[in-house]
Amino acid sequence: MDTAVSVHGLRMNYGAAEVLRGVDLEIGRGEIFTLLGPNGAGKTTTIEILEGFRNRSAGEVSVLGVDPERGTEAWRARLGIVLQSWRDHPRWGARDLLAHLGEFYDDPRDPDELLAALGLTAQAGQRVSRLSGGQRRRLDVALGIVGRPELLFLDEPTTGFDPEARREFHLLIEKLAADEGITVLLTTHDLAEAEKLAHRTAILVGGEIAVCGTPSELAEAVQAQSHVRWLEDGRERVLTTSDPSQVAWELHGRFQGPVPGLEIRRPSLEENYLSLIGRAA
Amino acid sequence: MNVTSLRIGLRRGWKEHLHLVKDRKELLTTLIGTVGVFVLLLLWIGDGQVGETGVSQGTFMTVGFLAFTIFSNGLMTLPMAIATDREEGTLLRLRTIPGGIPAYLTGRAVTVLCQIAVQSVLIVGAGLAMGGIAPPRDWLTLVWVLLLGTVAVVPLGAVIGCLVPGPKAAAGLLGLPMMVLMVTSGVMLPVTFMPEVVQWISQAFPLYWQGLGLRAAFMPDAMLAAEIGGSWRLPWVAGALATWAVAGMLLAPGLIRRVTRRESGSRLAERRLAAQAS
Repeated sequence: MDTAVSVHGLRMNYGAAEVLRGVDLEIGRGEIFTLLGPNGAGKTTTIEILEGFRNRSAGEVSVLGVDPERGTEAWRARLGIVLQSWRDHPRWGARDLLAHLGEFYDDPRDPDELLAALGLTAQAGQRVSRLSGGQRRRLDVALGIVGRPELLFLDEPTTGFDPEARREFHLLIEKLAADEGITVLLTTHDLAEAEKLAHRTAILVGGEIAVCGTPSELAEAVQAQSHVRWLEDGRERVLTTSDPSQVAWELHGRFQGPVPGLEIRRPSLEENYLSLIGRAA
Repeated sequence: MNVTSLRIGLRRGWKEHLHLVKDRKELLTTLIGTVGVFVLLLLWIGDGQVGETGVSQGTFMTVGFLAFTIFSNGLMTLPMAIATDREEGTLLRLRTIPGGIPAYLTGRAVTVLCQIAVQSVLIVGAGLAMGGIAPPRDWLTLVWVLLLGTVAVVPLGAVIGCLVPGPKAAAGLLGLPMMVLMVTSGVMLPVTFMPEVVQWISQAFPLYWQGLGLRAAFMPDAMLAAEIGGSWRLPWVAGALATWAVAGMLLAPGLIRRVTRRESGSRLAERRLAAQAS
C-alpha cells in the first residue's frame, strides 16, 4: 500500500499540558480515514500538525512524503484543506471565489462543473455571506478540492448538518474517493459518521490512539461484554461474558439440544466506543 | 513573490475594490465619513483666510484632507481590513493555498490604493466644485508626494493590521490618535498655530510631511508664512516619508510572515469565542 500519511511517536505539548502523547498513524493512498474521538482528544491538533499549521514537539511526520514543517508551496498545492466553520470572503460571489482560488493551481477544476457537482449551481451568483450553513459547507469542500488535491483534510465537516445534508455529504466524499482516488482524512466526534464513511478509523482518546482499524476490527478490538439470555426453570437467566459463543456451546451441552429463549446480544460499535472512552477517561 | 501571485493579487485587489464600491453601507461610510465631513467643514470655515497669506481656509483644508485620506486609509482602513480578514478566516484560507499570502497582500495594497484614489478624486472634486481651490502648481511634487506618502503608510498599516487583536480593537486603538494627529498635524489648521511641543510631536508622524508636501504642490509661496521655518522643506519631506517607508518595509515581511504562520483553525475559533464573549 502506497502511503499518504505516516506519523510515528507524535507528541505535542502546550506548556506543561500534553495534548498528544505518542500518536502513530499510517494512511494509505485512496483511503478514507477518520480520526474519531471526544472533544479535546487532540484531533484538531493532530490535523493541524499534518497540514503544516503547527509545529510538533516530537515525533516523525510525513505527509505525501514531505515533513509538513518543511512543506513548500508545491507541496501545499497537493493538499486540500477544509477547516471548521469558515466565514471568510463574505462579499465574494460563490462562483467568483471558486474561480479566484482556483487560479492559484496549475490545473484547477472548472468552477461551474464543481458547483454542479456540489449542487450549488443555483447559488453561483450569490454572495458567500448569504449561503445557508449547508451550502456554505459544500462551498468549502468545493474550495478544498478546486486544485485537484491528492489529500483532503476535513476537520469536523458535518457539525451542524441536518441528517439529509449529512447523508449527501457522505455520498459526496465517497464519490470523491472512489472516482478520483483522493485520500481523505476526516475528523469527527460522531461514531456513526466514522462507521458509515471510513475505510479505517483511529480512535483518539486523551492524546493517544486507543484503537485503529476497519469498523469490524474496531468492534473486535474494543470488545465489551456480551449478554447471553435464556429461559431455565421458567425464569430468565442472564450471563455477561466476553465469549458468548463458548457460553452458548456449554448451554447447548447442558440442555442436550436447543436452548429455550436463547438470545445473544453483542454490544454495538457505539457501545464499544462509549465504553472505550469511559475506560480511558 | 512570483509573477503568478502578483497577477492574481492585482486582480484580487481590484475585485475587492469593486465589492466595496458595490456595498451600499461601505459606500455611504466612505462618502459621509470622509467627503461629507470635508464638505461640511468647508461650508463651515472654508471662507476664512489663513492668516495674511491670501490663501482661503477651503484650499488649506482640501489639501490637508487629501493628506489625511492617504494617512487614514494606510494606517486605519488597511489595518482594520486585515484584522477583519484574520477574524473571518480569509487570511487563513489564503494560507492553505499555494502562493496565497503574497497574493493576499498584493490585493490589499491594490484595494487601499484604489480607495485612496477614489477618495482623493472626490475630495479634490468637491473642493473645486465648492470653489476656493486652485489646481496644483507643481504636478511633479504632487505625484511624488502622493506616491511616497502612500508607500510610507501602507507597509506600516499591514504591520499594524497583523498586530492588533481584532477589527474592534483596531478601531478603538487607532481612532483617537488619528483624530488627534488630524488636528495637530497641520491638516485643519496651520501647524504653526500649535504650541511648539505639539509641532515637534506632529513632525514625528508621516501625516505632517504628507500634508506639507501636498501644500508645496498646491499653495503659493505666500503661504510659507504659516509653515515651520518659512520653507516647504521638500528634502525633509522626502527624507521623512522615505524613512517611514523603509521602516515599514523592513518590519512588514517578517512580522506578516510570523503572524500568518500562526494562523490556524483552532486559533481562529479561539479568537471568535473571545470576540463573542466581549
